[in-house]
Formats: sequence, structure tokens, C-alpha cells
Amino acid sequence: MRPRTVLRIARWETTKGVGGLDRGAVAVVLAAAAFVVAFGVVGLVGGVALEDGIYRVGVDEDSPFHDPVAVDDALAVVEPDPAVVDEGLRPGEGYDLYVESGPERTRLYLVRRDGEPTDKSLAALAAFRESVEAYNERRMRSEDNETAAFPVVVTVEFVERGTDGGADDGGGGPDSDGTGGGGGEGGGGDGQDDDGGLPSTGGGDGGGFGAPSIGAFDLFGTAGTSGSPSAIAPPFPFQSLVLAFLFVLPLNFVIQAYGSSMLSERLDRRGELLLVAPVTPAEIVAGKTLPYAATSLAIAATVVAGLWLIGAGAGPLSVLAVVPLSLLFLALTFLGAMFARSFKELTFVSVTVSTALTTYAFVPAIFTATSPVAFVSPLTVAVRDLTGAGVTPGQFLFATGPPTLVAGVCFLFGLGVYREEDLFTQRPVHLKALDALAGRIRRPRSLALVVALLVPFVFVAELVAVALLFALPVALSIPLVLATVAVIEELAKALPVYAGFVNGRYERTAGVGAAAGAAAGVGFFLAEKLSLLVQVVGLPDVAVADAAFQTGLGSNSLAAVAVLAVAPLLLHVATATVSALGASRDRTAFAASLSLATLLHLVYNLAVVSRLV
Amino acid sequence: MIDVRDLRKAYGGVVAVDDVSFSAAAGEVFGIVGPNGAGKTTTLKTIAGLVEPTAGTVRVDGQPADAAETRRRLGFLPEASPLYEEMSPLSYLRFFADLYDVPRDVADERIHDALDRLELDDRHRERAIGDASKGMTRKVAIARSLVNDPDVVVYDEPASGLDPLSTNYIVEFTRELAAEGRTVVFSAHDLHHVEAVCDRVAIMTEGRIVASGPIADLRREYGRTEYHVYTTVEVPDAVAENGRYRRVVEGMDDVREVESAAAARGGEVADIRTVEPSLEGLFLELADPSTSADRPEA
Repeated sequence: MRPRTVLRIARWETTKGVGGLDRGAVAVVLAAAAFVVAFGVVGLVGGVALEDGIYRVGVDEDSPFHDPVAVDDALAVVEPDPAVVDEGLRPGEGYDLYVESGPERTRLYLVRRDGEPTDKSLAALAAFRESVEAYNERRMRSEDNETAAFPVVVTVEFVERGTDGGADDGGGGPDSDGTGGGGGEGGGGDGQDDDGGLPSTGGGDGGGFGAPSIGAFDLFGTAGTSGSPSAIAPPFPFQSLVLAFLFVLPLNFVIQAYGSSMLSERLDRRGELLLVAPVTPAEIVAGKTLPYAATSLAIAATVVAGLWLIGAGAGPLSVLAVVPLSLLFLALTFLGAMFARSFKELTFVSVTVSTALTTYAFVPAIFTATSPVAFVSPLTVAVRDLTGAGVTPGQFLFATGPPTLVAGVCFLFGLGVYREEDLFTQRPVHLKALDALAGRIRRPRSLALVVALLVPFVFVAELVAVALLFALPVALSIPLVLATVAVIEELAKALPVYAGFVNGRYERTAGVGAAAGAAAGVGFFLAEKLSLLVQVVGLPDVAVADAAFQTGLGSNSLAAVAVLAVAPLLLHVATATVSALGASRDRTAFAASLSLATLLHLVYNLAVVSRLV
Repeated sequence: MIDVRDLRKAYGGVVAVDDVSFSAAAGEVFGIVGPNGAGKTTTLKTIAGLVEPTAGTVRVDGQPADAAETRRRLGFLPEASPLYEEMSPLSYLRFFADLYDVPRDVADERIHDALDRLELDDRHRERAIGDASKGMTRKVAIARSLVNDPDVVVYDEPASGLDPLSTNYIVEFTRELAAEGRTVVFSAHDLHHVEAVCDRVAIMTEGRIVASGPIADLRREYGRTEYHVYTTVEVPDAVAENGRYRRVVEGMDDVREVESAAAARGGEVADIRTVEPSLEGLFLELADPSTSADRPEA
């Protein structure tokens, strides 16, 4: 691949894309973007002010309730006029609530219509109560004698979930190293802080995060949660949610533009002339992809820089963590654009890609502070980097390696059909997918290679399944994950074989079917050793993950390890051969044989898990 | 310059081109004609390196058609002109010149030269291609095929969808390209133009070449010379035409028979005209699958 040619095509793609935009549309998009940014900054830094002064409260300056009302943005102090409450507070007198403070007691007047309090007046009362409680809370915190203010202190610490599906008891979790404050050491003990003081941070996500509170709300869950028990909430994955929004949402816009550009090369045969030029398909695709990859990177860098500016511990690692995710979005969209026959189909494909990848990025990251399962998503690396929790090289590799490999494989398969004969045909999406697989198959050896290339897909799919299912009770999650694994792996082995038969790569005989199945099984077995990567982050410590990947390394028995090393080879060859024999006949036979192979695989999985894991 | 040997291209079970062989020399215009689905476009795309042959070889100046060096020396014009409508002709042509590693100053000279020759006026050169007429778009597409100063040009229906004036112009332009020493291979439905431009033609049907060679040779080999005999009186099988009667026959014996018939009815032969077979006639004769059993191997 010649970088100069790639850059030429990238430059052309950029200028062509810009040239295709109407100036008015550009202005509207820029204005909308500016509005979103401005709204976001105001929301993050200054808080949303839609309710400012919405409730008018009559309260005297000497009243002890004056300050709580004055400091609450939603409440507006109105000079009290005792005359208005002589006969009760009525609508239209300039008050929603009236506070009459006497030496012994305080009377609150609600606005009444036909003898009933108005809705707004009741809402003003609720806001007033919250304001007073918050005011008192702040006053208590500012007391020098904290023990007097809070006679009992309970430190809540959320620890990493154990291998049995329950929480560890006692001691801090791996993340409770005190980097975020004082929540770590005292966890699980007597609940009393050593010095009797209040923890400054350490609530929320296990004390692992040290980012400061930002603006009107606590973006990274680092503020203290001391107060009444009702104020203590379980950790909400707010960081993941915010980051998924900040990092993943813009990617959806990028892939729309990218997919549209790739598909428009196919419609009306526009890309034909590029194929005639002395450039390779890889150079064309790289050149056309580069501007969108660069845009994704620029967006990620801007987001990280923005977060850094408002105080989060963001760095280059966060940007690097988003790169594989961007590549995965682009790669799957590219593949979708190669398969789709129209913009309508492309929309369906890109929405599917967007939903699946957002799930992949977001769901595992929910468990950032509690489980190594979180490292299934590259977003976890960004979350930990932004919160200063740190990431080891192994964790980084585990989180970013598989999606990068999957992206590479997607581009590889897409390039297989980036030729005149496939690019401009109007075959259904599923047949195009089979064409992409068959495009790389020439003989049994290349079939094994194609199956091996699918292993990163399998790996990521299984990791996502683990992330989705591990929160369930083990009795339910393990059978479910084993069934899911059996389906994913059998499909990965069988589809390339079937694609080869459908595309006439080899003869439809039982002998050829058996040979193809054996090749597929061996290819899969060799490549699945990639799953040993799970060791890097200690994922087998999670029971459901160990069941899924069946490393057996947690076993003390040498025989068990040996069996686990050889048995999968026999399994994969046997089940792939069963599927291949069906594929060598017709579609119905293939469906039946694939089902049988999946069932065999599931039985094997259950046997292995029950005996060895 | 171009050498196609035993070319076969199958898409699954469908054979698009079967056992096709021909060659074209430098400075020669080689035409491929045939009905829709005859395999013309597939053959041209194989020469352009777009389609991989199932069997056989396609070489351009001794090099495989899909080699990068071959593509650098080849200009291809597909039947449709799917240009990037949001670009102007100049930026579009400069981009392609860039892909062929043509220096910017040389590219600009070639682009303006080609557009001048194709009579694309200046005001359309900077406007978006999408705003141009079909004829102008086609001219831009032709100019694109020349930005690399190719030795070989492969044109698939170059005048497709154009008005007669533009068609004539492009056909003449094709002739000029050959006169400059380039090898031109093209397909066309308009057989009059093929006849006017091509040195040699191949007639394809159902993926095979059923006849090929110089048009004169094809006439001799496959065509039938007709004699239009005009008489002053009505004779059997004659049609009335401008106060006379015309009968079409194929040999001198038949002419003499018409002469006798006219004399027997008190008339005479007023005129005899020899009509050579047209390419269209040959095409209709040869491209009809129902007559293939009667014809010799090409």
C-alpha cells in the first residue's frame, strides 16, 4: 500500500464530501453543533437553570428560613406583606408560598383556590422542604466538630464481585487503593473511620476515582455521600453513561457519512473508474476511510481535551482507547456498505451496527469499578484513565486488542468483495456476506485461515455475552453463556464452509465436506488460543467467564489441563465436520446439521464445566 | 498491442464469454458488436483489468491486463458515465491525473487539451458536473480516459445516449485517437459508426465471436451481393417503385431470368444496381442464433 496514493484519495474524499454539502446545510449543522456544545458546557459547569426563581416565597429577612430560600435557585425571595395572609393566600397576589416565622412557631401559607391548595403552591412547598434539608445538611458538614454533627458514621464501600457471584466480604477491592480518598481502608471493618472524621471521597464507585466534582453535579461520582442513610445510593455507572454519550454518539454521525460515501461508490457504478486506475482496492478503501477515522480521532481528542479542561484526569490513553472502537464502527459500517443494496438497507445495517457496538461499548463499562468483565469494552480504559484509576498494559491490550483485530478482519473481508464482480451486483445481504467469506477461500488450507480469521469475532461476541450475562445468578448465567458460546462457535466454523459450497469453491461431495469440516475445525482450534488473552486481566476469576472460555488453568489437575488442551481439537473437528457434511448437500441439510453440531457442542461444554471447572 | 486468447468468463453457472480470441495492433480501431448480453462489455472489462478471466489470457503489450503498469497505460470508458456530480470537471480530472501520477502542470495541459478537442467550453469546466448535460458529462468521461495519455483506449458504447451530432463528433474523435497511434477497442450498437471507424470488427453472440476480421473480408465471406433489377413492365416478385418495377436477386442468372420475363411481357430492363452487404445486414445474419448452425466457424 502506497501512503501517498492513500493520502491522495483521502484528500479527494474530503474535498468531494465538503463539495457535496450545501452551504446552508453546513451552517445549520455548525449552528446545531455550537448549540449542543454550549448547552453541554452550561449544563456541566453551571447547571441547567430552567427552574431559576420559578417559585416565589414570601419570607422575612430575619426569618431563619430566609437563607435556605435565598440560596436555592428555584426559589425567589419576595418581600412579605402580612396583609395578604389575613384571609388566606389567594392566587394572583405574587406568592406561591408564604413563610410566617414567629418566636415559637412558623406558619406556612399555601395559595388556595376554592379552598384547595394549588398544584404550584404544593410544588413550591416541596421545593422549600428540600431546600431547607439541603441547607441544614450543609450547615452540619461545615461544623468543626464533625462527631457532634454526625454522631454515627457509616462508610459504604462497593467491592469487586467475587467468583461465586457474590460480593467479597471484608477488605477493600483491588480498586480501593485509596487513590480516591479515604474510602478504601475502612471498608468491611467496623464501619467507623479511624479518625472519626468524614470521608472526603470514596463513595460511589469504590473509592477508586479521584477526579474532582465538576460544576453543578458530580460527573465522576467522587463527591462524598455522607449524610442521612436515604442519601446513600448504590453506584450508578454515570461515568460510563456520560462517556458512552460523549465518545460513542459522535461516531454514529461519522459512520452515517462514511457508509453513505462507501455505498454511493457502489450505486450507479461510480467506483468502477477508481478500480480501473492503477491503485489497489486496499488503497482506495484506506484512502476513503482515512478522513472518517481522522474525524473520529479528532472528536475523541476534543472530548478528552474538554474533559481535561474541566478537571477530569484525561490523557492520551483515553484517546487511544477510543481508536479501536472507532475502527470497529467504521469497519462494520464498511462491511455493511459492501453488503447493502440501497440506502434503505444501509440505514438498517448502520442502525444495527450502532446499537450493537453501543451495547458492546457501554454494558461492560458499567462494571468498571467492580469486575474485570468491564475490560471487554475499550471504553473502560477511557473511564479508568479519566478517573485516574490507571490501566496496566495487559488490561489495555485485552480491552483494545480484540476490537482492533475484529476491525481488521472486517476490512479484510470487505476488501475481498471490493472488486467489480461483487461491488456492483444486487445480491441479497446474506448472500453478499457469504460471498465475502468465500472470496478468501481457494482450498482447504485457506478455509482454515478464513475460520481462524473469524475467531476475533467469536472472542468479542463471547466476551459481550459474558458481560451481558455475568450479573445473573450463576445457576442461570452459566448454562446460558455455554449455549451462546456453542451457537457462536459453530456458526463461525460452519458459515465459511457453507459459503464455499454455495459459491462453488469445491465439489458437493461428502468426502470434500468432511475435509472442509476438518480444516475448519483445526483452523478454529488453533486460532481460539487467542482466548488465553483472558488471563491477562484475570477474567477466569469470574465463574461465568471461565465457563465460557474454558481455560482450565484454574484447575489444579494436570490431567484436566491436558484434556482441555486436546479435547477442544476433537470437538471442533467433529462438530465442524457434522455441519460441513450438511453444507455439502443443501441448505436444509446444512440447517439440520448445524443444529446437531451446536447441540453436541453444548453437551460437551456442560460436561467440561461440570467436571473440570 | 492487445492480445486476447481463449478468454472465458463465467459467473457461477452463467457463461458470459466463451473461448474468445482476437488481437488489436497499435493505431488500429477494433470494434466489437453484438446484441445485448453477447459478452461485449465483459470482454472489454477484462481488457481493462476490471474482470478476472475464468480461463484464458488477456495481455496488453505483453503484460497481464490487471497489472498496475498495464492500467497506467490504458484508458477505459464504461458505457455509463458515473462521475462524481458534486465535483467540477477540472477537479475531477485533476484527481484522476493525480492517481496516474501525472505531474500537475502536465495534467493541466492534457486536461485542457482534451476538453478543447472535445469542445467543452470554459464556463462548464468549473461548474459541478451534476449541472452539466449528458453530452458534456460524456465528454468529461472521455477526457478522463485520456488524462494518463494512454497507449490503449477501451471504450464501451462511447456514444451511448447521445444526440446524433455528439455521436458523430465522438466517433470522429475515436478515429483521431487511432490516428495518433493508440490502440482503440470499442463496442457500439450503432453499426453505421462501427463501419465508418473500425479497421476490424468482431461480431459476438451468446458470449462467442461468430465472425471477425476487416469488414470487407466479412462482407466477402458472409455477405451476399444483391442486384436490384428495375423493369418497365411488371414481372413476378417485383414491387412498383416510381413508375417502374424493382426485383431483388442474388446472381447474374437471376438477372437474366428477370430480363427474359420483362421481354416476354413487352418490356425491358431499365436499370441494374449492385448493392454490397452492410455491416448491419451481416450482423443481423450472424448474430441470429437460429442461423448459427449454418455458418462456418469464425
